[in-house]
Amino acid sequence: MKKALARKRANARGISTRLGVFFIVVLLAFVGLSFRLFAITRDNKNEYRQKVLSQQSYDSKVINAKRGEILDCNGNVLAASEERYNVILDTKQIRQSDEQKGSSDVRNASVDAVCTIFGTDRKTLTDYMDSNPDSQYYVVKKDVTYEEMSRFLPYITVPEAGQEKDSLYNANVKGVWFEKYYVRYYPQKTLACDLIGFSKSEGQASYGLEEYYNDILTGTSGRKYGYLSDETTVEVTTIPAVDGNTLVTTIDTNVQMIVEKHLKNFCEEYKNNYREGLGANNVGCIVMRADSGEILAMASYPTYDLNDTMNISHLYTDEQIKQMEADGTLKDAYDKLWKNFCITDTYEPGSVMKPFTVAMGLESGKMNGSESYYCGGFLQVADHKIYCHGRKAEGNLTVKEAVAKSCNVALMQMAAQIGKETFLDYQNIFNLGLKTNVDLAGESRTDGLVFNEKSMNETELATASFGQGFNVTMIQMAAGYAALVNGGYYYEPHVVSKILSPSGSVVKNIEPRLIKQIVSSSTSEKIIEYCNAVVTDGTGWRAKPAGYSIGGKTGTAETVPRDNGEYVVSFMCHAPADDPEIICYVVVDRPNVREQDDAKYSSIISRQILTEILPYLNIPMTEEVSDKEREELLALELSIYTNRVEKEDAEADASANNPEGDN
Amino acid sequence: MGDKRQVKNRRYFDYLLLFIVLFLLGFGLVMIYSTSSYVSSLNYDGDGLYFLRKQAIAVVLGLAVMTVVSFIPTELYKKLAPLIYFVSLASLFLVLTGLGHESHGARRWIYIFGLSIQPAEIAKIGVIITSATLIDRMTPNSRRSWSGILVTLAPAALLSGVIYFLTDNFSSAFIVGGIAFMMITLSEKKNLRPYIILVGVAIIGVIAFIALVKFPDKLHLGFRGERVLAWLNPEAYADGKGFQPIQSLYGIGSGGIWGKGLGKSMQKLGFLPEAHNDMIFSIICEELGLFGGLAIIVMFILMLWRIRDISSHITNTYENLLLCGVFTHIAMQVILNIAVVTNTIPNTGIALPFISYGGSSVIFLLAEMGIVMRIARDCDFKDAPPVKKKRRMKEEETHEES
Repeated sequence: MKKALARKRANARGISTRLGVFFIVVLLAFVGLSFRLFAITRDNKNEYRQKVLSQQSYDSKVINAKRGEILDCNGNVLAASEERYNVILDTKQIRQSDEQKGSSDVRNASVDAVCTIFGTDRKTLTDYMDSNPDSQYYVVKKDVTYEEMSRFLPYITVPEAGQEKDSLYNANVKGVWFEKYYVRYYPQKTLACDLIGFSKSEGQASYGLEEYYNDILTGTSGRKYGYLSDETTVEVTTIPAVDGNTLVTTIDTNVQMIVEKHLKNFCEEYKNNYREGLGANNVGCIVMRADSGEILAMASYPTYDLNDTMNISHLYTDEQIKQMEADGTLKDAYDKLWKNFCITDTYEPGSVMKPFTVAMGLESGKMNGSESYYCGGFLQVADHKIYCHGRKAEGNLTVKEAVAKSCNVALMQMAAQIGKETFLDYQNIFNLGLKTNVDLAGESRTDGLVFNEKSMNETELATASFGQGFNVTMIQMAAGYAALVNGGYYYEPHVVSKILSPSGSVVKNIEPRLIKQIVSSSTSEKIIEYCNAVVTDGTGWRAKPAGYSIGGKTGTAETVPRDNGEYVVSFMCHAPADDPEIICYVVVDRPNVREQDDAKYSSIISRQILTEILPYLNIPMTEEVSDKEREELLALELSIYTNRVEKEDAEADASANNPEGDN
Repeated sequence: MGDKRQVKNRRYFDYLLLFIVLFLLGFGLVMIYSTSSYVSSLNYDGDGLYFLRKQAIAVVLGLAVMTVVSFIPTELYKKLAPLIYFVSLASLFLVLTGLGHESHGARRWIYIFGLSIQPAEIAKIGVIITSATLIDRMTPNSRRSWSGILVTLAPAALLSGVIYFLTDNFSSAFIVGGIAFMMITLSEKKNLRPYIILVGVAIIGVIAFIALVKFPDKLHLGFRGERVLAWLNPEAYADGKGFQPIQSLYGIGSGGIWGKGLGKSMQKLGFLPEAHNDMIFSIICEELGLFGGLAIIVMFILMLWRIRDISSHITNTYENLLLCGVFTHIAMQVILNIAVVTNTIPNTGIALPFISYGGSSVIFLLAEMGIVMRIARDCDFKDAPPVKKKRRMKEEETHEES
């Protein structure tokens, strides 16, 4: 018994001994593994640290900033940014949640909710989830509005106590999130399209205010990211997005609408009139304040929808678009449509230059205003016979008559009097050939398109006096003319009057910027007098709006190549006549008529525009209104006020009827 | 006389072992919170405590089980061995029934009373008790005979096969087989026959490995084959099977000697799959550095030393065999886990004992520690004073041979 016990005990001790040997083997294994750990740390520490850090950088996420708005002078929204959402599905999260619960509740609930709210095809969604079990980013639907997105929120918002019954909340709805971004939209669609320009993606903008003020409108994107502190720990930091600033412009939506309406009417009226195509190659109009350079309206035709810039179906047929695509001119067609005619296109100003030429003479002292000139219908300059407009001999003309009747011969004589040097000096003083620095993208450089010391000879000087031979932009002419009639003060034309922060406080007030005085006030008064005569006794008589006296100057410029009967006709005017407040400049580039050389097309448009905008701008009527004009105004007013009058009548009737009812 | 001694020795309690167990459990909970809070707050609606809570419940439950087991006489296991074996086997088949639950692409869990249990963990403790009971009944000679070896290994092989083919769990099958193998090998001196089996298995393994490397396209070994190839060249398979090993290495390497500091791992932020589970050792190294990793290894060595030391004071063969089983289980699992994490061997899903997330693993491991603590009470220090131990053992062995 005792021996058996001892034996058993010995056997047990033997097991222990062998276990001891095994323990040593295990110990050796541990030593080996420890060395392996040490080797990994020793050999690859830096490499692996970098790998770990480089993986980490995927955590960075951009938070989009909201682009600032563009408002007109009355606070109407011209351009704004709207929140949109992408609906994102995280298949992996849904699958993992289901696996943990051992069911497919999460999948069913999530798919149900998404399909119900966003109208997604159930099969498409489930097929995708089956074939991509690890996908974490699947765009279910793009371009979802806030309203649509918010209909989904009840599913994932824990209801407040006591409201559980009515709530759609379902804890199983998971793996659906929304990616927020902004889209630009233009509530007025085509209104002032050339002036505003467009922004298609965050921070990118083309044309107009959008491009010029891109830095101010674009906010600073925020970012959510993990960075590594000194102790190589990840600190998750969120830098919130800073929204862009808002522009308040000097544009008056109503004026702009009136201008655009009349430009469009003209183009519609003369569409396919003489040749196939629009009423003119281009029609442009600038309305600005004479004594500050603030632009109230700037328009051209054709227009395009800022929300759908690629749509040119209102201008071209499908075959034409295909044809243009084929020969590669589609891009040019877009550029032509999108650019701002009023600041980008250059043309020869024609007789609108005449007040400038006269002002040069008066201001330089080469003329005093009491001169008279003889017009025989043409003037021999160097080798050329340069004819007067219409080749009609006007006889003796005073300076005032020369401007009023737009006599080229008289102006050429004045130019000869002024001389080349003075002419070139004043060309520079009047800012011709220089940018006006209007705050819009795309203003043309014209320094190579005006005369200089070398290019100007006797003939060129003569033709330049009536605005042929050199090129200008509309904005140059309008800004220059404004200075001629406001006492001589040249203001930088501008569109933006204020920059507001996203919260609405003023960041910057942009005051009218006086650049220089280009003529004295006495010269300015004379120019006003002469230009008023253009409308009362001269070529611009068609432009006079009912009830107002205005001054102005017509322009008819032959285009290059000469003698093919193509003209740019224009009308520059100021109102009221004695104390100019408003400048209105209309240019019709090659009207769609047989005889293009008639400024009536532009003067009539001017008249139509002024008739409506002057009363709107609260400029009092000073002139008697003839019966015919009264009828016209009445017709216009009726169309404007009919509704109000009817309403007032109805109210009057109602108040008259009520007491009876009570009785 | 025997009764008297037993009463006396009941007072012995292995406080060091208990301390090591509690340390590893506590450390494990801290690391599980550290590794899982980010991922769980993403997946459980901001609940960063999800995994910690579940594991803490399992730990509390496991400590209760350990306490109860530490009072159960080991003699009882001899009687219950057939039942325990049957339960182990049956529970494995339960994964096929409605109680079974699939996760991570494998069906390895069963749900009972709202608890998810991995039957392979039951099988590990089951094979220890079954093998110990079988070996204890044999005479020394039959332990060395082929028949004795087969009788011991057959039930284990059955469990192992079921684990492998039914639940597709290679590592657990390997450990179950390994436990039985080590128990029969250690049971008798000069027991060389099991080594023949070992060599045979090794040769087959080497042939399969060479074939796989030479003709990777012709052999269809599924994801295990890919794992072997990924092991050889983790960078080349970095997007697939090599992703986890290489992320694990990044974690270890980037930790340096002293680590980034507790809670400051970057790899746990969704980059290292199973960071709170099989790969927790990598995050320990990342956060606590080489120092932390080695400290944990030292803790396991201490634990194994305690088990082996207890066995040297035990006069009961059956209890000694049980200690061998527990020793082998823990040793194998720790070595394999660290070897996988350091990409020393091909990737296979294996948990780090007491530390990795996993309720059933920790509960059954604590049950095994309960058995060890019960056995520790039987330690006979009078009989074997440490100083004279070696000489006395030699004497006894010579005595036995004669």
